[in-house]
Amino acid sequence: MSNDNNNSLKKIMLNGLLNKNPILVSGMVIAPVIVLANNFKNAVMLVIAFSLITFFTLLVSSFVPKSIVYTIRIILYTLIGALVYVPSVILLNYFMPEGVEAIGIFFPLFITNSFIVTRSESIFFLETKGKMFLDIVFCILGYDAAVLIFAALREILASGTIGGKMTGMPASFRVFEHPFGGFIMLGLFAALFRSILLLIKRVRQK
Amino acid sequence: MDMLKNIILTAFTAVFAENIIFSGALGTSTLIIVSRNRKNLLGFGLSVTYITALMSVITYFLNKALRIDENSYIYTPLVYIIILGAVYILTLLCLWRFAPAVFRRMKKYIHISAFNCAVLGALFLISERCETLGEYFIHGLGIGLGFVLAVYLTAIVYDRLYSEKAPYSFRGYPLLLIYIGILGMAFWGLSGHTLKF
Repeated sequence: MSNDNNNSLKKIMLNGLLNKNPILVSGMVIAPVIVLANNFKNAVMLVIAFSLITFFTLLVSSFVPKSIVYTIRIILYTLIGALVYVPSVILLNYFMPEGVEAIGIFFPLFITNSFIVTRSESIFFLETKGKMFLDIVFCILGYDAAVLIFAALREILASGTIGGKMTGMPASFRVFEHPFGGFIMLGLFAALFRSILLLIKRVRQK
Repeated sequence: MDMLKNIILTAFTAVFAENIIFSGALGTSTLIIVSRNRKNLLGFGLSVTYITALMSVITYFLNKALRIDENSYIYTPLVYIIILGAVYILTLLCLWRFAPAVFRRMKKYIHISAFNCAVLGALFLISERCETLGEYFIHGLGIGLGFVLAVYLTAIVYDRLYSEKAPYSFRGYPLLLIYIGILGMAFWGLSGHTLKF
């Protein structure tokens, strides 16, 4: 029984962080990453805003009764998201006003992110409360880690800095600062990630 | 004549030069979900266009009231979501009553076409860029049509992007991102930008 629980926890953890990573594998909530995660500071702000809104919205939304028709449930999830946004923006505006300004319209857009609109009904709310809680936490952690690593690499490549400090890179590729550069780099990053996962799988099989 | 020129320019900007997917990446996750399902892509794109155009007109009147309060940014998303929810329900009721066949076809994904970053993002972008009711509507319509264009350009190469001939590491999602990036670069160049090295 304990072994089963450990395996289940391990599976949830690996899925959220690696095998079904929201950004690198599933392609969820990538708009803010493409546009804004071109430097580490923006990325930190993005992950804080995303984590706050997604975690609390999904947690509260999981208590919406299934007896309510699907049409109304979807509206309720986004309404809860919009309500969670209110204290989140007040709080972050108090502690990090420049950060809130930097992410601009992408902050309120987290209200309709794919975790809340699609993944909630198709995956999270089908699980037991305990499993769902862990799944949400590890998916958010997987998202956050991927965004931070991606943004750090993108900043180094695009401007030769990390968190605004010079790294001594001999060349920089400004193209990666733009959204289209973000698309191309995320595509390459996702391919590299898939190769690493495949390599790990092959090594384990041997 | 000037009015016609403005309309064409606004529409061209929204559809091509500032395409919501290729230059703003808004709604990319929705595009990926929809392109995976590959069912009635045009219908989905048109329902996004309908909701964006209709909501942009409503937003014009909402913003007149919201802009009075300087702290309205705190609750503006809540107001937009309430109105979006009402439009979504009314649309479903109208379809169910007057076009049951369309209702049956669309009911599985119409919620994704209403509640996504493309629609909500369009409302925020329009609020920042437009002043008159006409501009709001044309820009909203243009953003929706830009989304249709992006869905179409993705759908026509879908088989190649997901082909077994493509290397495993790049197959599907990574190639799709690179493809959108290259198209984004082309649209960016189309609007007269140049890269500085």
